[in-house]
Amino acid sequence: MSDHRKDFYTPRDAGRGIPPIAISHASTLENRTGSWKYIRPRYEDRVAPCNEGCPVGIDIEGYMHLIGQGKLEEAADLLLRENPMPAITGRVCHHPCEDHCNRLSLDEPVAIHAVERRLGDMALAAPPPPRPEVSRPERVAVVGSGPAGLACAYHLSRLGYPVTVFEAASEAGGMLRQGIPEYRLPRAILDRQIERIRAAGVEIRCGARVGRDVPWSELDSYDAIFAAPGAHLGKKPRIGSGEAIPGIRPGLDFLKEVNAGGRPDVGERVVVVGGGNTAVDCARSALRLGAEVTVLYRRTPVEMPAIPQEVKEARGEGVDFVFLAAPVSASAAAGELLGVECQRMELGERDDSGRRRPVPVDEGRFSMLADTVLTAIGEDCDLSFLPEAVQTEWGMIRVGELNESTSAPVFAGGDVVDQPRSVADALGSGKRAAIGIDHFLRRRAGEELEPLVIEELRLGGAGNVSATRYRRDDPVRRESPVNEVVTWAQMNPNHFRRLSRHEDRFLSAVEIRKAFGEVNFGLSAKEALDEAERCLNCGVCNRCELCLIFCPDMAITRREDGDGFEIDLRYCKGCGLCVAECPRGAVVMTREDL
Amino acid sequence: MSQTIIRDRIPREELLASGHLACPGCAAPIAMRLVLKALGPQTVVVLPACCWSIIAGPWPQSSLRVPLFHTAFETGGAAASGIKAGLEARGDTKTTVIAWAGDGGTFDIGLQALSGAAERNEDIIYFCYDNEAYMNTGIQRSSATPWGAWTTTTPAEEPESQPKKDIVSIMAAHRIPYIATASVAYPVDLVEKVMKARFIRGTRFFHILAPCPPGWKTGNDETIDLARQAVLTRVFPLMEVEDGARWRFTAEHPGDPVEPYIRRQARFKHLTDDQVAHIQREVDARWQVLETRVEHGT
Amino acid sequence: MKKVMIGNHAVAWGVLRSRVEVISAYPITPQTQVVEALSDMVADGTLDARYIKVESEHSAMAACIGGAIAGVRTFTATSAQGLALMHELLHWAGGGRLPIVMANINRAMAPGWTIWADQNDSLSQRDTGWIQLYCETNQEVFDTTVQSFRLAEMVDLPVMLLLDAFYLSHTSEPVDVTEADVVDGFLPRREAEFRIDLEDPRAFGALVRPDSYMEMRWQQQEAMQRAHGVLREVEDEWERLTGRRYGALEEYRTKDADLLLVTSGTITSTARHVVDTRRDAGEAVGLIKVKMFRPFPTEDLRAALAGVERVAVLDRNFSPGHGGIFAEEIRSALYDVSAEDRPTLYGYVLGLGGRDVTPEVVEDVIDRTRRASEPERQDLWVGVEL
Repeated sequence: MSDHRKDFYTPRDAGRGIPPIAISHASTLENRTGSWKYIRPRYEDRVAPCNEGCPVGIDIEGYMHLIGQGKLEEAADLLLRENPMPAITGRVCHHPCEDHCNRLSLDEPVAIHAVERRLGDMALAAPPPPRPEVSRPERVAVVGSGPAGLACAYHLSRLGYPVTVFEAASEAGGMLRQGIPEYRLPRAILDRQIERIRAAGVEIRCGARVGRDVPWSELDSYDAIFAAPGAHLGKKPRIGSGEAIPGIRPGLDFLKEVNAGGRPDVGERVVVVGGGNTAVDCARSALRLGAEVTVLYRRTPVEMPAIPQEVKEARGEGVDFVFLAAPVSASAAAGELLGVECQRMELGERDDSGRRRPVPVDEGRFSMLADTVLTAIGEDCDLSFLPEAVQTEWGMIRVGELNESTSAPVFAGGDVVDQPRSVADALGSGKRAAIGIDHFLRRRAGEELEPLVIEELRLGGAGNVSATRYRRDDPVRRESPVNEVVTWAQMNPNHFRRLSRHEDRFLSAVEIRKAFGEVNFGLSAKEALDEAERCLNCGVCNRCELCLIFCPDMAITRREDGDGFEIDLRYCKGCGLCVAECPRGAVVMTREDL
Repeated sequence: MSQTIIRDRIPREELLASGHLACPGCAAPIAMRLVLKALGPQTVVVLPACCWSIIAGPWPQSSLRVPLFHTAFETGGAAASGIKAGLEARGDTKTTVIAWAGDGGTFDIGLQALSGAAERNEDIIYFCYDNEAYMNTGIQRSSATPWGAWTTTTPAEEPESQPKKDIVSIMAAHRIPYIATASVAYPVDLVEKVMKARFIRGTRFFHILAPCPPGWKTGNDETIDLARQAVLTRVFPLMEVEDGARWRFTAEHPGDPVEPYIRRQARFKHLTDDQVAHIQREVDARWQVLETRVEHGT
Repeated sequence: MKKVMIGNHAVAWGVLRSRVEVISAYPITPQTQVVEALSDMVADGTLDARYIKVESEHSAMAACIGGAIAGVRTFTATSAQGLALMHELLHWAGGGRLPIVMANINRAMAPGWTIWADQNDSLSQRDTGWIQLYCETNQEVFDTTVQSFRLAEMVDLPVMLLLDAFYLSHTSEPVDVTEADVVDGFLPRREAEFRIDLEDPRAFGALVRPDSYMEMRWQQQEAMQRAHGVLREVEDEWERLTGRRYGALEEYRTKDADLLLVTSGTITSTARHVVDTRRDAGEAVGLIKVKMFRPFPTEDLRAALAGVERVAVLDRNFSPGHGGIFAEEIRSALYDVSAEDRPTLYGYVLGLGGRDVTPEVVEDVIDRTRRASEPERQDLWVGVEL
């Protein structure tokens, strides 16, 4: 400013300094317009519904967020904190997360499984992470190397415990290896994933069935035991008199034989009885052995417990489904099965499980030719190895919230506890037990710990527990996190474009018949990234900055470290535009403290 | 991201300061902020009487970090012309001079000066932020007030009886090089249009819809959603007109029904269903006209 | 350089010599030759200015205000209805302390339509914060135009220079047009004290609260008061350069006069002639020409009029419901003069709407003033026949 101008702006009579005209010399920053408000916004990260819907307890939104930032390794790390085997679950999980995905209200859910699979494969291709240090003196024994046992061992190892897994079979994996056909889960993937778990410090002793090869008393030398032996006893169907009929065999046995490399002769016509995943796996495996396959299920497609995607794939491959029908008797001649007599059913009253009970329809008999009948109506557990103090109920081990049995220090999980029999649920139970065991052992060691509030560990309050939350080492900055699932109504869909979902690529049906090779190729890396970008990041601020852009009062500023925002309450007038326009419901309005 | 991330397309520079005196949730400061971000600091704002006369702050304050000249209600176009001429006379041809006027100062009392400036093709950008009535004086009708609206001078018993004046067509008839409509709900569209306009010589005109919570009788947090809905319903289409001849839409206008947009504004609460249907017909008819212009380029 | 020119061209020459940078104007009879001449000068490059050809006087003043706040020298010209249309913005220029110069060709206000001279148009703008300078000759018009910029820019006030419709605007007289280098020395390029500056962004004209408004108006009043002295300085220098000066007030043959006429504008020339005739006949009649109406030369008038027996004020204007406007102002100025020195004041309203004020009319005014025992209860309207 030149001198004469300075003279103009400064008081001529050294009075109040009022210039001859209304020329400004101050900013409106003097006005604390924030005093006008009676409500104030607050950043509050909520929980995405997929997270709550995941039986494993994975921060799906979190890794999608990191992918969105181009941080693929961090994303894989976040995933591996909760799930020891993403390359497997990405292939075989029934992904209930996708049923919870908010995109359902917009177009189609994010193909979470495919993204997980890509991240899992990427992690497998990378060098293994460093082996966790053993920092705890206690040792833990795990019975069974299925998903539950491996998960528990993995999480415990990451918590610093030396863990030994006892596996009855000659190779680790439990139902992953014995129950799931190779066309769904290539053995190479399974082997490498188990190798990774070993690399994480887990010792697996195969050919060591507890109760046969290893006495329970040997386990007593461990500080805690996690029992996850699985459910390997196929239920016996009642077809005809109940006598053994050649050509009728438990589907699980058949699957185990095929999965072990056997190629049994099932003839030209196979009938599979049941509606679960075992039934579908049997059907598709039999198909690959060259048979024409029909699945008989006594209820309707709606009630089928099998993964719908698997059913769809089976249909696509040529498996025939007959619903509302059950076998009642079999006919055989010369020691060979000829066929089964079937009864048509209809749905009656609801039973205890809430499902409508199938009841026979009059005159509804028909027969089907069959060379082999595979029964897949459920599996039971062999709990004979357990000491009596471990109480059971309905043939399963009774456990509490952290999968503690009635007899400390025994914990249990997987198919031997009362929960859905899925890989994801098994993995989730293993993690719960690992947390339970850690907490139990630390308290036993005299650490003064606050009681665990499991609801706080559960994603959204009703999802599975989070190892990250338990360890309190979340790499993603959370703004005043609230453990509630964000609702679609809390979000602002106007900011989202509709984008069609990328569907997995499959082997053609012609090729399928020939071999047991993997049928689902998943998504390309590019497609998986595109899918990750379809994620809405429900409930969690992803720094999109719309709040800042729409704030009429410039009251929202970027934090100095660039990660997140601050609200300058001196100027915020409480209009609520940041809340209304946040696409993902991560800003809420609270009452002003007066 | 199925959400288009726009943060990198909005310049970060803040030329509007906090502590301004706009009502909570007002669209007018949002519009000014975005426009100044697009224009940068080498900008002079000429401000005829409007809500912004208050928003800018009383003496000795200013909420702008660029020069601001308060001028008489009806003089936006002329005062901006004079400032531009004055700067040019001293060799400054780079500074962007803008007039920033409300709908009253544009559609009504300032129309003559605006028309004069446009006809002379003055090298200025004229922004009208339109809140559809004289809001600063307490919600009296203007010629930008839509048909059927309540204001304090069009009471519910006898609401606004005339359709909103078609200011864009009026300006297009001046054949100025650039006209755009813009919305605070479409910040990238707004900013990019302003950036484009900045480097066009001659008179450029912007019509920005600026929802007004107290005047429209809507919630403070509805401003952006209303502005967006106005576009989606085709009540306020986003477009550009070049040389008064080439009309172009710049956003998707799915043609959502107007009823939810009308019904959520209590200034329309007295309207019957038939009257809302009438508004829909008017919007449809206007849209057809615009579509024809876009197709035929006239 | 001597040229014979009409008053409107004298304005244009003054603008040219003042190197005005922004002109904005709208045509109105009888101002048109001003804008026509300026258009030619700008078009042929004689005058390096931006000429904004606006759509109204209102916009003309708004554009001048814009140019002035941008820091440059601005000019406009108008008359009567055009000036009235500017009214709001005259306040904006005055209160905004913008040194705009405007030539107003004094023309009577409609209705009915009239284009001829009287002063009601400019006197209606008395309180808008403009300095008002009423000219008598085309030479004075030229000189005053140049001086106005100097004066305006020294006190940060707008100046309205006034010339009677047709009697000056369209009447040719010889004018000595001061050479450009002389004017350049007298009137350097405007250096605005306050202006739009991108380096130092400020807001101009925001809301002012009651606690500060009066302080700003007081400074406007102070500047008006300062203008008396500044005009004297400006005239001193102009006189030094050109030999010509006019004064806020001119006393003509007032020595020992017992009757003084008070005039403004072109009536002055007629009155001058009549005074000469009467003086030659031995009558002690003199003349006061009031050039500056705002700020009002109160002190000068008191000094000039005190002790004179009778004063006749000739007003080519009137304030409806009151009287001749100069007469009223002078009466007010004389109120503080002691009773023994205070002259008796006779007001005459005449020449409205361009009616001729001939020497006979002025003679009549003198005679009536001498005959009157005491002033009429209201100013006398001369020559009105219903």
